[in-house]
Amino acid sequence: MLAYFIEAAQVLMANRTRSILTLIGLVAGVATIVSVQVAANGMAGAVSGIFKGTNASTFIVFPKITQGNAARAAFRVSDLALVQETIPGVVSVIPYSRSQTIVDVGHHRIRLRFGGESDKRFSTAPLVAGRTINADDVAGASSVCVISDNAFSRLFPEAPSASDIIGRSVYVGSKRYVIVGVLGKTKIDTAALGLDISTDVAIPYTTFYKNYQRGGTFPFLSVLAATSADLKSVEAQTVKLLASTHGSQYQAFDFGFIASIIGSFFNIVGLIVGAVGAISLLVAGIGIMNIMLVSVTERTREIGIRKAIGARRSQVLLQFFIESLLLSAFGCITGMLIGVGLGAIVDRGFIARISGVTGSIPWLEAIVIAVGFATIVTLVFGTYPAYRAAKLDPIQALRYE
Amino acid sequence: MNRADNVIDIAGLTKTYASGELQVQALRGLTFSIKRGEYVSIMGPSGSGKSTLMNVLGCLDRATTGTYKLDGIDVSQLDDNQLAEIRLKKLGFVFQGFNLLARTDALRNVTLPLFYAGMPAKERERRALERLTEVGIGERARHKPTELSGGEQQRVAIARALVNDPAVLLADEPTGNLDSKTSSEILALFDRLSATGRTIIVVTHDEGVAKRSRRILRMLDGVIMSDAPAGAPA
Repeated sequence: MLAYFIEAAQVLMANRTRSILTLIGLVAGVATIVSVQVAANGMAGAVSGIFKGTNASTFIVFPKITQGNAARAAFRVSDLALVQETIPGVVSVIPYSRSQTIVDVGHHRIRLRFGGESDKRFSTAPLVAGRTINADDVAGASSVCVISDNAFSRLFPEAPSASDIIGRSVYVGSKRYVIVGVLGKTKIDTAALGLDISTDVAIPYTTFYKNYQRGGTFPFLSVLAATSADLKSVEAQTVKLLASTHGSQYQAFDFGFIASIIGSFFNIVGLIVGAVGAISLLVAGIGIMNIMLVSVTERTREIGIRKAIGARRSQVLLQFFIESLLLSAFGCITGMLIGVGLGAIVDRGFIARISGVTGSIPWLEAIVIAVGFATIVTLVFGTYPAYRAAKLDPIQALRYE
Repeated sequence: MNRADNVIDIAGLTKTYASGELQVQALRGLTFSIKRGEYVSIMGPSGSGKSTLMNVLGCLDRATTGTYKLDGIDVSQLDDNQLAEIRLKKLGFVFQGFNLLARTDALRNVTLPLFYAGMPAKERERRALERLTEVGIGERARHKPTELSGGEQQRVAIARALVNDPAVLLADEPTGNLDSKTSSEILALFDRLSATGRTIIVVTHDEGVAKRSRRILRMLDGVIMSDAPAGAPA
């Protein structure tokens, strides 16, 4: 059997140009599919990494849309303490309140995310200057704010350092807020990806509630748990507690869930590109079959010689079959390596640079794709030419010019 | 005559080709034997049936009726794979057009039958080199056919035909593509092989070639017109 592989390899090497031309389509097809797999894997890893960087142990609770009585379901200040004190593992509860708002300072007017996220622990960004919003600020509904790195760089492009702007003010509509603290960059540069979900200008929730959310109720609760490990159980307990208190139905939403949705989105992208790649592989496979058929015609005389010498039908079949197999195996493995290389370049050089998360290379998938396609291409497109070669009549084949 | 001495025994052999409505009788009942070690020529003009006979003798084709015993085996009713086996083990072919694998060097051309016989690579090459040396081109073993002259190519083909130690060497116009000097070299090689006891059958329309053999079968219209020692009047 080994002898056939050596024989086939020698034939393919002897027809090097033709072999290489045959391979190009196959290499390109496999490389496309594998590189997209690798890049999509990196992207999905990066996205889940981003959400992990944000704070994996927070979730939001809100009334179900099917909930009829919105007024009864809306949260009150008393719910904050209730949840925090009743549910074990809950560290902090604040109203979730955020809006895109024009924030201005002097002549800079910029649209930023503004909200009552008064508990610094909900963010993973470090404090680089000043202080965080404290209990007194919350209790007194004072007009102070902590701004993000993004807000700092855009509102105060001329400021030499973050500590220089402590004590200065920003305006939201007619309201003025004194900057008491500045946060730094999160470990992962989410802003560059357009996936930033942190608050740019955070004020005490009591202040937000006093100035913007009249009526004494709010639609969302933001909950911080001690760990992300049993987040689902904390979510369930919170929903249950609030439901029995209000006689309404609620649901919880965490970033891990969003991450899994985005992750599956990239998987779908991978599948679609994979399907397109599969079509290109089909074309490549037909290319191989065509070349092998041409090769059978071109080598009719050779086949005739081999049969005259005493090659059995099965031996000729095996020879052509193994030539196809070697061609497609070589093409698919080369394609896989190129694909992994391209995917890794995209991931390491682009996705990882922005996200800070390097996706692992899905070797198993890559190998499965390469081996799978090599097998399919050989079986589907290599068998017919081999069959044609094997059933040639030696007398006719020898007479062929 | 002791039948065991016959390497070829043919009785009542016919071959009919169906060409549409038309039936072409290429062979019309041949009966003859060839003894081990004989050097025989088959002659005849185009259409005489000598090529058909050659194909049947070479187990490339089956006769329509009649029996053909090759080296004691009745090959008349064998299937394609069995015929391939017979060609591999009992027959060696030498063609007018040499029919070497073009992109393969002389040595590997000669190893080919041994490859199909399933011999290990080392043994194949040793045997092939032996044969190439025997036909006088051992030193050209690593050359491709395109790098060899016609005479050299035919020697490679003869080495290939002999490598499996066949019962019969079948040559179809072996000098047809060669100049006269090279032709006589190849014929001298045939003489030498015959002298060592090889059974050789040469199909030719060249009297000069046929005269080198010991016996000439002359064919016309699918029958043997004469079967006489070479040198006898035609």
